[in-house]
Amino acid sequence: MKLVIAKDKLIQGLQAVQNVVGSKTTLPILSNVLLQASGSRLELTATDLDVTISCSVEATVEREGGTTLPVKRLFGIARELAAYEVELDVNEKSVCTLKAGSSFYRINGLAMEEYPPKPEFSELRNVSLVQEKLKGMFKKTSFAISTDETRFVLNGVYVSFKGQKMTMVATDGRRLALAETDVEIADEGQCDFIVPTKAVNELNRLLQSSGEVEIKTSENRVAFSLKEEGGASIGIVSKLVEGNYPNYRQVIPGECKERIALGREELLHALRRAEIMTSDKSNSVKMAFTRNNLAITANSPEVGEARESLAINYKGRDVAIAFNPNYLMDPLKALEDDEVYLELIDELSPGVLKVSEPFLYVLMPMRMS
Amino acid sequence: MDAFYAAIEQRDNPALLGRPVIVGSPPSRRGVVCAASYEARRFGVRSAMPSVTAGRLCPNGVFIPPRMNDYRAESFEIMRILSETGAVIEPMSIDEAYLDLSDTIAELASRQSAELESPDDALLLAIPLAKTIRKRISHDRRLTASIGVAANKFLAKLASDFQKPDGLTLIPERDKVQFLRPLPIRTIHGVGKVTEQALHQAGIRTVGDLQDRPGNLRDLVGSFGPQLKAFSLGNDDRPVAPGDEIKSISSEQTFETDTEDRTILRVCLLEQSEEITQKLRKHQLRAHTVQVKIRYSNFKTLTRQITVEDGVSDARSVYRLACHLLAKDRLVFSPLRLLGLGLSNFSDRVSPQMRLL
Repeated sequence: MKLVIAKDKLIQGLQAVQNVVGSKTTLPILSNVLLQASGSRLELTATDLDVTISCSVEATVEREGGTTLPVKRLFGIARELAAYEVELDVNEKSVCTLKAGSSFYRINGLAMEEYPPKPEFSELRNVSLVQEKLKGMFKKTSFAISTDETRFVLNGVYVSFKGQKMTMVATDGRRLALAETDVEIADEGQCDFIVPTKAVNELNRLLQSSGEVEIKTSENRVAFSLKEEGGASIGIVSKLVEGNYPNYRQVIPGECKERIALGREELLHALRRAEIMTSDKSNSVKMAFTRNNLAITANSPEVGEARESLAINYKGRDVAIAFNPNYLMDPLKALEDDEVYLELIDELSPGVLKVSEPFLYVLMPMRMS
Repeated sequence: MDAFYAAIEQRDNPALLGRPVIVGSPPSRRGVVCAASYEARRFGVRSAMPSVTAGRLCPNGVFIPPRMNDYRAESFEIMRILSETGAVIEPMSIDEAYLDLSDTIAELASRQSAELESPDDALLLAIPLAKTIRKRISHDRRLTASIGVAANKFLAKLASDFQKPDGLTLIPERDKVQFLRPLPIRTIHGVGKVTEQALHQAGIRTVGDLQDRPGNLRDLVGSFGPQLKAFSLGNDDRPVAPGDEIKSISSEQTFETDTEDRTILRVCLLEQSEEITQKLRKHQLRAHTVQVKIRYSNFKTLTRQITVEDGVSDARSVYRLACHLLAKDRLVFSPLRLLGLGLSNFSDRVSPQMRLL
């Protein structure tokens, strides 16, 4: 393999893929990036065997072929280079010569044949949509993913393609975020699966606000192909979380007693200010709704107290409920709407946060002492 | 208490009186001796010894499987007798406890208008109390106890061991240094094989040698030095603290034959979960840390633990976490000799955060 590539393109490719490489790998070759040159492109691939990311960038290929090189080291070199163009030349012993301006490197690689093969996908089961839509859906749900490793089915985002609807759900057992959007789904494309947290994090990082994304699924994997006009194209392949996602529909309250419209930013800021006075031992804020007023209080015996008052439009009965302020702030940060609606039943039943689009957030309250 | 488990067995079954009773696994099976009667000890049988060895040393020994619940109930009765003295009690194990009788003695002295001129006057006043305790235990429980009376925990423990069984030993403050002088260093609590060896090499064999050696002994035994020096002179300032706080609860099982059969292991974990969470609930606690312990056929032993934010108190959750710990690192890849489950990091507070799922 021999090629010349713009330094920026090499950095762009490495940045896209290198995140999945952990500091502790089971196989030495997993610390390497797979480089494959053909046509006028260089494809870079990194994997931890669970998540694989590939990024294809423009390059002037003189001799097609491939190799694998230590990714952290290659990225370190690329970042520090002064020249704008980089020449890579790999011999049959997997030794790479890197030249850029006055810099010269000889890097020992490992043969590409030893690199884990890429999983195959059938062309049939695929769904296409604009990246921005998918990005928004992940943003509005992924914060609710469980970090409890013992409940592994919750360590990811549940995705369902049913009818002409794409649904995403994430929950940690205390709160649940659900987003929905209309997409065109062929009959073969109907399916549901759980995308593990690591892949979700990579998608949150790599999805752009322009261009299309194609989603393909197989028995135990999902592939996201991100296309950008003219520029790089990125592929993310992930193992799916095995197991059945819990029946989340049953925890969504059917009807509510009170529905309160609240300014999203106003509420977020009030919660941020109140949250300062919570502590590990008392990590709740109390929200007391009275006629046209919402009082938010935080009270930690050992720290002190905070009180916020918001003018709202409320004519219902007086109701008070306590929440973990961080759990309530998470969706407020992820959403962009001006107004949110909080639906309540009583102080021991879940509160539901809604907006004008198909989204809902179910949050269990905290017991008030 | 003297040969506690074995004594209970002999009391409850007079046919065993005078016979070498060994509580523990039978020598035909894996396991160890939990307790040995004085008749069995004459053959060299000691607690924690493998049953096979005990069977060899004492072929006529009567092996009896332990009845822990009964022993615990008995222990509870005995602790109740102790508490009648009004002492501050620090239970050390199921059959041992320290009693701080300072207040009781002071009150007794003032009632008798006796002047406590020296510490030994107080110790002498404790003798009748100790006699009453022994009488109560022997009369009410038909068991014998050995009691040591001294001015601190170190000496009291030493004294209690001095004339077992059914002994009562007083170490007066005035005589303590002389009392300790001839004793071998191994009698000091905390001096095990390694320390003993280090001291022997320095030519120290008796407590008297320790007393005579200048300095704090740090050069010989490290950080234990100053305390060892104090002990050798009969000094100990550790308070008698009623440590009623539970730090951990655990259960473990050595299998009859090593096994990696998932069903057997699951049943074992489930039973252990039931057992330890029962205790947990009795004390109205939640455990935040769950630990599994495994020992392979080659005696390689390892533990894995997980800490959970919400805490658990039901057997099902503990079982689930234990299975997770074993599965996560694929620990059961060869037969296990032992499987254990433990809980620690307790709190009495239920998380106020309610759950959806």
